Amino acid sequence: MAAAVTFAAPALPSLHSSSCSLPPLTHRSLSFVAFTSPTITKLSFHRSSRRFSSAPSTSVFSIKAAAAAADKKRVLVVNTNSGGHAVIGFYFAQQLLSSGHEVTVLTVGDESSDKMKKPPFTRFSELVSAGGKTVWGNPAQVGDIVGTAKFDVVLDNNGKDLDTVKPVADWAISAGVEQFLYISSAGIYKPLDEIPHVEGDLVKDDASHVLVEKYMAGLSFSSWAVFRPQYMIGSGNNKDCEEWFFDRIVRDRPVPIPGSGMQLTNIAHVRDLSSMLSLAVENSAAANGKIFNCVSDRAVTFDGLAKLCAQAAGRELKVIHYDPKAVGIDAKKAFPFRNMHFYAEPRAAKEIMGWTSSTNLPEDLKERFDEYVKIGRDKKPMQFDIDDKILESLKVAVTV
Amino acid sequence: MARLVAMQPRQASPWASSSSPLLPSSLSEFSGAALSISLQKRRRTWQPKGALQVTASGAKKILIMGGTRFIGVFLSRLLVKEGHQVTLFTRGKAPITQQLPGESDQDYEDFKSKILHLKGDRKDFEFVKTSLAAKGFDVIYDINGREAVEVEPILDALPKLEQFIYCSSAGVYLKSDLLPHFETDAVDPKSRHKGKLETESLLDSRGVNWTSIRPVYIYGPLNYNPVEEWFFHRLKAGRPIPVPNSGVQITQLGHVKDLARAFVMVLGNSKASKQVYNISGSKYVTFDGLARACAKGAGFPEPEIVHYNPKEFDFGKKKAFPFRDQHFFASIEKAQRELGWAPEFGLVEGLADSYNLDFGRGTFRKPADFTTDDMILGKSLVLQS
Repeated sequence: MAAAVTFAAPALPSLHSSSCSLPPLTHRSLSFVAFTSPTITKLSFHRSSRRFSSAPSTSVFSIKAAAAAADKKRVLVVNTNSGGHAVIGFYFAQQLLSSGHEVTVLTVGDESSDKMKKPPFTRFSELVSAGGKTVWGNPAQVGDIVGTAKFDVVLDNNGKDLDTVKPVADWAISAGVEQFLYISSAGIYKPLDEIPHVEGDLVKDDASHVLVEKYMAGLSFSSWAVFRPQYMIGSGNNKDCEEWFFDRIVRDRPVPIPGSGMQLTNIAHVRDLSSMLSLAVENSAAANGKIFNCVSDRAVTFDGLAKLCAQAAGRELKVIHYDPKAVGIDAKKAFPFRNMHFYAEPRAAKEIMGWTSSTNLPEDLKERFDEYVKIGRDKKPMQFDIDDKILESLKVAVTV
Repeated sequence: MARLVAMQPRQASPWASSSSPLLPSSLSEFSGAALSISLQKRRRTWQPKGALQVTASGAKKILIMGGTRFIGVFLSRLLVKEGHQVTLFTRGKAPITQQLPGESDQDYEDFKSKILHLKGDRKDFEFVKTSLAAKGFDVIYDINGREAVEVEPILDALPKLEQFIYCSSAGVYLKSDLLPHFETDAVDPKSRHKGKLETESLLDSRGVNWTSIRPVYIYGPLNYNPVEEWFFHRLKAGRPIPVPNSGVQITQLGHVKDLARAFVMVLGNSKASKQVYNISGSKYVTFDGLARACAKGAGFPEPEIVHYNPKEFDFGKKKAFPFRDQHFFASIEKAQRELGWAPEFGLVEGLADSYNLDFGRGTFRKPADFTTDDMILGKSLVLQS
C-alpha cells in the first residue's frame, strides 16, 4: 500500500552511510520518517552511522507522495492540556499531517485557558497551517464536539484512568473508528530485580492505566494498541526534563542527584514516540492487540544524563549525591525522575513493526540547550529552595 | 555427498538430564526440542539446492581451539550431534572428554567415540601452522584465543578456510553512559580485552570469512570463572553477601548452553559473514538482584546483603566481588533479528541449571575463600557496635 512517504536520509544512493540524525526542528518544516510498509522500513537508518555521527546530516532530501485516497487516515488525537505527555500529541499530529493524513486535535479544556500559553499549545498554529484542525472541549463529550466528522483512528493521549478514557473509547466504537491507540505509561510496570521492563512483564495491579488497557482490549476495535512511554525531550515540551539540569549547570550550581546516581532511566526524543505511533497507524494489522514500550532504545544513568547536559552546555559539572530520607525531603519534588531504576526497552516495536530509534542524546541535548539559551532561560532569575536545603544539610557551600 | 543427520523432535539434548530429579523435566524436554527445531530450521535455510553448489555436504571438518573446559564442552557436543567431524586442539592438560552431569552413558560414549584430539600448544606457532596445514580444516572455532598473533598461524595454515568463528568479549566496548552496548558501539583499544579487538581486526584485514561472538558474563555448569559459584559458596555457608557500593549496578549473565547454540547457528550462515554478535541473556540484573536470583535458583532463602565501600579496604590481590564495579550489559537484538537465535534460559532457571548440574552436586572449581568477606564484615560489625 502506497501511502505518503517522507524520507530523511543522508546523500544518495547509500542509505547506510553517514549521519541519520534528523535535522533540527524548524518552525514549519518537519521531516520525519514515515514508515509505510515493511519494505520501506528496511531502508531505515543504519544504526552505526547514528552512533558515530558527530554532526547532524546536512544533505537531506524528502520525497512526499500524496496519500492515495484509500490510505489517507482521518485521525483524532485527544490530547491532555498539561504534563509530560502533552507534547506527544503535537509531534504525532505534525508527523501525520506531513504524511498526508487528516488530523484533528481535541485538547482538554478551553482554548482560552492559561494552560494554552505553554508549549506545545503555543505552536498549535503550525498544525493548522499544515492542514490540521484544533478544537477544545471535554473528552467525555467528544461525540458532540466532533459532530458528524468521521475518523479512522483515535489516539487517546489524555486519560490515566477508565473514567476519563471510557467515554472516548465507547464513542469511538459507536462511531465506527477502526483503530484505537492509547498512551499509557511505563510507570505501571512492577519494579523487579531484572531489567529492562519488557512488554508482557507484570504490571502493578492497582495502576489505573491497566484498567484502561484491559477495557480497550475487550472492545471490538479492528485494531487497538497501547503505548507505554517514559520521559521525553524535544522542542514544545510542556514539562521540564533536561531543563532541570541546564538550570543548575548554567548558573554554576551543583546538581543534587539522589542516591548513587547510577539509576537508569530512559529519555527519548519525542520524535521517537511519534514515529512509533505513526508506524502503528500505517501497520494497523501488525500493531493490533499489542503493547509497545514507547521509549528510546538506550538507558542513561542520572549521573550520565547530568554529564551529557553539561557537555551540551559546554560547562563544568558538579554533582552532589544525597540520601533524600536523611535530608528529609521528598525525592519526587527534588528531582525530575523517579528515584530508582526505571528503564523499559522498545522491543515489541522493533520486532513487530521494524521500528528504529533515532534518539541521539548527545546531539539532541545540544539542540535543546541552544533553544534553552535562545528563549533566555539561562538568564532567568530562579530560586533553588529544595537544592539549597539539600546542600545546607550536606554542608556544601554554594558560591553564586 | 550429502549427509543429513536425522533429527528427532524430542531428541535428548546433551544437557537434558532426564536422570536428575532436580531438573524439571519440562525444561529438559523443552531444551531438547527447541534445540532440534532451531537446528532443523537452520539446516533448511542453508542446505544447498542443485548441482551448482560446490559443497553438497552439510558435514564440516571443524577444529576447536580449546574445547575441554567450558564453552567448548557444550559446543563440541552440539557439533558432533549435527554430524560434523570435530577436533579439539589442546595441550592435553585437562581430560579430552568428561561425562557431563546428567549426560547418559550412551550419549557420552557416542560423543567420546567421535571427538578427535590434536595435541599441541597454540603458542607454538610453527607447530600450529604445520599441523593444521597437514590436516586441513573447513571451519575454526577459536574459543580460547587472546592475542591476534595466536591466530596468524591458523590463517596461514588454512588458505581455503570456510569460516573462522571467534569467541571475543563484550569487554571490548568502551565504557559509556548510554547502554546497552550495541555491536556498532565504540570499542576501547586500551581495554583489558584489547587482544580480542586486535584479533577481530586481524580477521577482517585478512579477508577471511569470520564471525565474532561477544559474550558478556557466561555462567552455567562447569564454569571455571567463579561467577555464580561465588554466590553459591556464600549461600551454602549461610553467609551474608558483600556487594560493593549501592548494589544497583547492572550486569548481565548468559547461559553457556545458549552461547553454544549461538556458536552453532553462525556456522555456515552467510548472514553471519564478517559480523559481530553480542550473545547473552535476554534481561539484565542488578548486583543485589543477582544475589537474590542465585538464592532462588539454588533453593536457598533470600540472603542478607551487606554493602560496603571498596575504597575503604585494601584487598591486595584478592578479588572481593566477581563483577566489574560498573553497569555492563549488551543488547542481543542483532543476533535475535539476524540469526533467529534467542536465549532459552531465563536467569533464575539458568542458575538453577548450573546449581543442579554442578555446585549442588558438590562440584566447583575454586574452593570457598571468605578472606575479603571477613575483612568487610568485620569492619561493618565494628561500625555497628
